[in-house]
This record gives sequence, structure tokens and C-alpha cells, in this order.
Amino acid sequence: MGLLTNILLAPFLAPIYGTKWTLDKVDRVVREQLTDDTPIKEDLMALQLQLEMGEIDDAEYVRREADLMQRFREVREWREKLGMSTSGGPVRVAESDETE
Amino acid sequence: MTPGEAAERSEAVSADNTGEGKYVYCIIRLDRSREFGEIGIGGGARVYTVTHNDLAAVVSDTPIVIYDPTRENVLAHEFVNETVMREFTLIPMSFGTVFRSEKDVLALLKSTYQAFTDVLEKMQDKIEFGLKILWDRDRVVAAIERDNDEIRRLKDEITRNAASSTYFARMQLGRLVEAAMEEASNRYVADVHEQLKDVSVASRSNKVIGDRMILNAAFLVERKAERQFDEKVKAISRQYEDLLTFKYTGPWPPYNFVNIKLKLEKAT
Repeated sequence: MGLLTNILLAPFLAPIYGTKWTLDKVDRVVREQLTDDTPIKEDLMALQLQLEMGEIDDAEYVRREADLMQRFREVREWREKLGMSTSGGPVRVAESDETE
Repeated sequence: MTPGEAAERSEAVSADNTGEGKYVYCIIRLDRSREFGEIGIGGGARVYTVTHNDLAAVVSDTPIVIYDPTRENVLAHEFVNETVMREFTLIPMSFGTVFRSEKDVLALLKSTYQAFTDVLEKMQDKIEFGLKILWDRDRVVAAIERDNDEIRRLKDEITRNAASSTYFARMQLGRLVEAAMEEASNRYVADVHEQLKDVSVASRSNKVIGDRMILNAAFLVERKAERQFDEKVKAISRQYEDLLTFKYTGPWPPYNFVNIKLKLEKAT
């Protein structure tokens, strides 16, 4: 959580992280981490494989699956907050081609 | 959900079946309505069709919710598709696709009619199999040390002169083993693809999961060639049984070979 801490404390760290460019960049990195569910999907597939290979038992799977689902929800919340598209939830056919 | 809410919801279901959302599993070619049993997501909802001309969406009623991709939910989605697949060629929908109403499902069928029809024709009587191959690193290294003269010689030398053997000799050995392993992995994967070429229509390699996997592929197979494909996979896995573990799954709907970009937006 180092990056996030720096952002939260940014005003005090201004002399060090002083340029706007740096802040933008850090902000972008954090945003990408908060809104990308690819690593969660990969973790879920790896977990599935561990179960299939008999490396973990059912109880362990269920426990770790719950953690991953929580991470999915957090990413979804961040995406919604930042006005990005989310998977899941009701959809309909887009009315015009412009939404492509 | 509290008992009160459950009662409320089941009342709503019996009062107005169309008042809820529709979870869509897949698209098939069918010009009349059809029931697939109470096997839907969310605890055995009734699975049925919404049709437009000769296309049908296989759906079940659902509250408007976001389904987490838990094993239970994914298996329910998958089980419906497996059931439908016994009789129909299907285009699978992404997990968790929920429409607000039957009208919205019909709008999907109408607006994407041509693309669905074309893809269903292409996928007619084709099924997918998944093949993951994992290796046992230690065994592969042992095989390499046995078969590769240069590596064996270098290793013997290092063992013999344990005290005096240099860091660089060890580095050199590590690099040679790494390169030999990569070469072996490529060779195994190429051989598997080569042997399955004649019994499949197409193949697609996905990103490998974890550090023991060397192949994560999907194969598109003609239904009538299913047995040949099956036998071939088993023969290959016997050929490599000392070195590789084969995880073979299917038949699946053609998840990896259908790519229709649906123009969907969030329904508020």
C-alpha cells in the first residue's frame, strides 16, 4: 500500500513528489491496479487448477474463492466510481453504433 | 436474503413471470419454444427459450443481480450449456449476462440475427475440447541431463571439482539447462499440435497458468471425429506419461472459437 499512502499524504510530501507529472503517473498506476481484474481472473484460474490437481482441498478452495470474489467486487466498485465499464449487471442492446 | 424477502420474491414470480430479468446462457437455432428443466443459475430456475424467427435464446428468470463467478454459479451456467449442447449447436454467452426483460432479449436476437446465424452455421456439429499440459520440472531436468552430452559433462565436472568449480561454471550450467528446457517445452507442444492436427478443425493456445504448465489449448473438433480425437489424446498422454501430465476436458461449447462482439450497454 506504499503508493496509496504516498498519495494520501501527497500534500506533505510535496517537496519530494513535487511535480504534477509524478503525481499523475502514480495516480495512473494506482488507478490501473484498482480497476484491472485480469490478475484476479488469473488467480482464480490458478486456484481452480490447484483444486483439480489435488493440491488443495475443497474447504481451502471455498475460502480462497471468497477472497477472490471480494477482490472482484472491489474492482467493480472502483470502476463504477471512476465511470468505467463493468461486467455483470443488466445489459441491453446498444441503441446506436456510436457506443462501440 | 431474509424469509420475508424470499416470500415476496416468489410471489412476484408467480404473479408476473416476465417482470424479472432474464439470464441468457446461449443462442441456438430453434423456431419454437422449448423447456430444458429446472437447472438454471441461482438455485434451479426454469430454463426455457425466447425465440425470434428460427433463433432462440436459452434463458432463465433472474432477479437483477450481478452474479459473482463462483464455482457454484459458473457450474450452473456450464451445466445448462452442456444440457442444451446434447441436442443443439450453440453460441455460448459470457457468464453473467443478464437482460432486464424478454423484450431486451428479443432486441438482441433481432439486432444480431445475421451474425448469430452465420456463426451457428460455421459451428454446426463442432465441439470444443480443452487440453492443458503440465510438466514435472525435476523429471524433465533429469531427462535433459541424461540426454544432453554437453550438460552432462559440465555437471560431472562441477560435481567432481566441487570445491574449485567456479560460480561461472554453475551459471553456465544453469543457462544451458534453461535453454534446453525451453527447447524441450517447444518440442513437446509442437509434437502434440502436430499429432492432433488431423483430428481437429482448429486450435487456439491460451496463456499458461502457473509455472508448471506448458500448454493451455482449446481444440475445435467435428462431433463425428470426437472418438478419434479422444483416442489420439490418450495415445499422446501415454507416450509422454513419464514427463507430462495431461488435463483433458470437454466436450465444451465452442467458447474459444466464437467471437461475436455484441453491442451491449449497461441497462439502468
